[in-house]
Amino acid sequence: MTKWVWKGVRTGIKTTVYPDGQETAPGISPGRPVSTECGSREEALARVALCPAGALRGDGNRVQADLRSCVHCLRCRGSEGAGIDWEGGFEWARWTKRGTPFDRAFARSIHIRVVDAGACGACMSEINQLNNPYYNIHRLGFFITPTPRNADLLMVAGPLTEHMVDPLLKTHEAMPSPKRVIAVGTCALTGGPFGKGFACRGGIGEVLPVDLEVPGCPPPPLALVHALLMISGREGRDTSKGGR
Amino acid sequence: MTQTGTLLLLFFLLCLAGIVISAITPERKNPLSLSVIASIASAILVWLSGGILLRGHAYSLPLWTLAPFGHLSLEINRLSAFFLCVTGIVFLPVSIFSAGYLPRYQERYSLKTFSIFYYLLLASISLTFMAGDIFTFFIGWEAMSILSYFLVNFEHDKEQSTRAGLTMLLMSEAGALAALVAFLIIASVSTGMSFEALRAGAGALGREACWAVFLLSFFGFGVKAGLVPVSTWLHRAHPAAPGNVSAILSGVILNMGIYGILKVNLDILPAAGTGKGLIVMIVGTLSALAGILYATPENDMKKMLAHSSVENMGITTAGLGAGLVFASTGHAVLAGLALIASLYHMANHSMYKSLLFLGAGTVDATLGHRDMDRMGGLIRLMPWTAFAFLIGALSIAALPPFNGFVSEWLTFQSLLQCSVLSSRAVKIVFALCGAGLALTAALAVTCFVKAFAMNFLGKARSKAAETVKKVRRSMTVPMLILAIVCFLMGILPTYIIPVIDHTVQPYVHTSTLNQLVPPFFTAGKGNEVLPKAFVSDFHKLGAQIGSQALPGRGLVIMHRGGKKNPVIFAMSPSYTVVVLFLLLGGCFILIRLLTRRRAVARRPAWDGGVRVLLPEMTYTATGFSNPVRVIFNGIFKPTTVLNSREAIHRHFQSAIKREQVETHLVDRIFGRPVIRGGRALANWLGRMHTGRVNAYAAYVLGALLVVLLVQMLLF
Repeated sequence: MTKWVWKGVRTGIKTTVYPDGQETAPGISPGRPVSTECGSREEALARVALCPAGALRGDGNRVQADLRSCVHCLRCRGSEGAGIDWEGGFEWARWTKRGTPFDRAFARSIHIRVVDAGACGACMSEINQLNNPYYNIHRLGFFITPTPRNADLLMVAGPLTEHMVDPLLKTHEAMPSPKRVIAVGTCALTGGPFGKGFACRGGIGEVLPVDLEVPGCPPPPLALVHALLMISGREGRDTSKGGR
Repeated sequence: MTQTGTLLLLFFLLCLAGIVISAITPERKNPLSLSVIASIASAILVWLSGGILLRGHAYSLPLWTLAPFGHLSLEINRLSAFFLCVTGIVFLPVSIFSAGYLPRYQERYSLKTFSIFYYLLLASISLTFMAGDIFTFFIGWEAMSILSYFLVNFEHDKEQSTRAGLTMLLMSEAGALAALVAFLIIASVSTGMSFEALRAGAGALGREACWAVFLLSFFGFGVKAGLVPVSTWLHRAHPAAPGNVSAILSGVILNMGIYGILKVNLDILPAAGTGKGLIVMIVGTLSALAGILYATPENDMKKMLAHSSVENMGITTAGLGAGLVFASTGHAVLAGLALIASLYHMANHSMYKSLLFLGAGTVDATLGHRDMDRMGGLIRLMPWTAFAFLIGALSIAALPPFNGFVSEWLTFQSLLQCSVLSSRAVKIVFALCGAGLALTAALAVTCFVKAFAMNFLGKARSKAAETVKKVRRSMTVPMLILAIVCFLMGILPTYIIPVIDHTVQPYVHTSTLNQLVPPFFTAGKGNEVLPKAFVSDFHKLGAQIGSQALPGRGLVIMHRGGKKNPVIFAMSPSYTVVVLFLLLGGCFILIRLLTRRRAVARRPAWDGGVRVLLPEMTYTATGFSNPVRVIFNGIFKPTTVLNSREAIHRHFQSAIKREQVETHLVDRIFGRPVIRGGRALANWLGRMHTGRVNAYAAYVLGALLVVLLVQMLLF
C-alpha cells in the first residue's frame, strides 16, 4: 500500500489548471477548420470538395465551415494555399435556441447521466477521461451517476440509433425536473456520417429538447468540461464565440 | 367447576358429532361442516381453558380404573390451560380456513377421512394437554403422532409425502419412547402413575437418575419441539402436508414438545443444577441459529417457514434454559421473567406461524406452487392475504408494535440479566447464547423481508402468478383474525404477562408481576407495594399522566424496586403504538401541508431503460438471499454436481449442467453417523443368518440356555 501512496505524493498534482488558468499542454485539442477567404470561386469550390462530411460550403470566394458537421478528418488542413485555415482551442460548446443554464442552486453540484445512443466509442472514451486525475470533474462539482432518478443532466453521445430511442426517452422521462440535455459530438448534433436512415434517426435533437451542443469528433475532454461549466452557469453565455 | 366439566363434555361430544356428521355428509359438504363444527369446538376449548387461566382453579376429573395402569384421570392446571388456550386459538381460524382450502383435494383424495382425522387430532391433542396420568398422556400423545402422520401423508400417492410422513413418525416414536422411559424412571420410585403421585415421588430419585430423566425427556420431547439434533423431520414434513395441517403442526404440535419438556422438568421433577439449564439454553440457541440459517436462503415457502419454526422453538427453549438456570441458582424473579418470555414467545410463534402457514397455503392453493423465485406481484391479486401475511412477517421479524417484538425483547433482557450469576463460565455461556440469538434476530428480518417482498411485491415472475383466481373469503378471514391476535398480543403485553405469570407462578414460587408490570398507571391502586421514592421518581417523569383514564397497567418494566430509580429496562408497547401512529400521521399531514402547492409527477419505475422488462430480469428470491448463502457457505457446504453432456468424439461439450446439492447441517453431523452405524450393526447382525437349519437350531438352544442361566443366577 505504501508504495502507491508514496508514488502519489511524489508525483504531486497533475490536474489541469483549466477553469482557473490557460491550458497549454500540447495535443489538448485536435483543432478545427475556420471559415477562410480564398482567391477565387473555383478555388473555393475545390476546397469544399475536399470535405467528405459536408461541413464546408462555398459562398462566393469564401469557404464557410459548418462546425456541427465536421469530423476532424484533416483533409482540408492542407499546406499553405491548398487547404483552409485551422484553429486551436476547445471552447466549442454552443447553446441551442431553447438552451439555458441551471439556476444558482445547481452551480456547485450537478449529477450527470451519460447515455450512449449508438456512438462509435470515441465520444464515450473522451467522457470517460472526465473522471481521470487529469480532468477530474469531481473537483468542479460534477458527478456521473448510474441512475437517471438522481440525475440533473443528460449527456448523450452518438447518432440516435433506432434501438436507443426508447431507452433514451425513458431515461429523459425518468429524470426529475429541472433537467437539461447536452448532445456530445458531431453524430449527436446532426447524425454525422450516419445521417438519417432505416436504423438511425440522425441527431439527438430529433426526439429530445437539447440545451447545449458540443461539436467535435470527438470533442476533447476540456470541451466537455467547458460545456459543463456553461450549463452550470459558471461560464458566461457569450464566451463561446470560437477559439482563444 | 361444574361449568368446566360441562364444557369439557361438550367439547368431546362436539368432536364425536363432527366425526359422525362428516362420515354421513357427502364429500362436497364436508369442508363446510368441518369448519363450522371444529371452530365451535375450538372456541369451547378457548373458553374452557381461558376460564381456568383467569380464575386459577385447577380442574381434575377422575375417569375409570384400568387394572394394570391404575386410575386414569384428567387434570387441567394453569400450565395445561395455557397450552390448551393457545391450541384453541390456533385451531379456530385454521378450521375456518379449511372450508376454503380443502375443496382443491376433493377430486383426488377423500375429504371424509381428512375431516375424521382432523377431529380426532383436535381431541387427542386436547387429551394430551388434559392428561392427569402417564397412561392418558401417552394415549393422547400416540394418537396425536399417528394422526398427524395420516394428515401429513394426506396426499398419499406422492412419494415425497409418504417419505416425509414416515420420517416424522419414526422420529416422533423414537422420541416418545425416550420420554416414556423418562416417565417410567420417575414412576419406579412413585406410588402410582398419576402426575400427582409422580410429583410426590420424584424427590426420591438419585442424581444419575435425575440426569437420565432430564436427558431422555428433553431430547425425547425435543423431537416434537423441533430442537436441533432431532429436528430434521420438520423441513421434510411441512412441504408435504396440506396448508392447514402445516399450520397446526407448527402452531400446536411443536408446542406439545415444549409442554412435555416443561411437564417433566418443571412440574414433576424441577431441574436442579445449572448444568441442565445450560444444556437447554445451548441447544435452544443452536436450534435458533440452524433454523434461521437454513430458512433465509430457502425458496420453498413452506420449507422456509418450517426452518423458521425450528428457529422460534430454539428461542423459546433458550428462554426456558435461562429460566431453569435462574431457578436453580435461587433467582426466582429472574426465573419467572425468563419463563414468561419463553412461554410468551411460544404463544406468539403459534399465532404468527399459523398465520404465515395459512398464507403459504393460500398462495399454494391459488398458484399451484410455492417457489418464491416464480412469484411476485401477488399483492395486486390477493391484497387481504398480502396484508395479513405482512403482519405475520413483521411479527416474526420481531418489529414493534407486533407480538414477536415483545417476547424476543423479554428473552434478550432475561439473558442479559446473567450479571447476577456468580459463576463466570455460566455468564460467558449466557453472553454467547445472547449473541447467537441476536444474530438470529437479524437474519430473521432478512428472511421475512425476502418472504414478503418476493411473494407479494414487484412483478409477477411466472404465468401462474399473473392469473390468479380470486381468494375465497373463508381463506382471508382466518388470516385476518390471526393478524389481529398478533397485533393485540403485541400492544397489550401488560394484560397477557399477568396471565402467563399466573401460569409459571407455581413453578418459580413467586410472582414477578410487580417487578415486571408494576401498577404505576392504575390510579394509585396497588402502588403501595412499591417503595414510595421509586414511584415518585416515575411520577416526576410523568408516568401518572392519564392514569385515571387507563384501565390497566401500561408499562413493561424490569426494576429492582430500590429507593432511587433502579430501572433495568422499560418499554411500553401500548403507548408505543399510540405514539407511532401519532408520529406517522403527523408526518403525513406535515408533508401534505408542505408540498400542497407542488405538483407530484408520477413516472413508471426505472427499469434501466430496457424496452420490455421481462420478469426474469427482476430481483429474485435467490438473488436476495445470496449474500447470506455466500457468507455462511462454510456451514451449508454445498457440493457441486457437474453433469456435462459431451458430443463429437467425446471432445466437445454440448451441454453443461451444474447443480449444487446440500445436506442439512443436522443430517450431516447427526443423521449420517446414526444411519451409517445402524447399517453397520445390521450387517454385523446379519452375519448370523447363514441359512443353515442346524445353525438356527443351535441359536434356539443357546437362547434357552442363556435364559435358564439368567433365571438360575439372578432369581
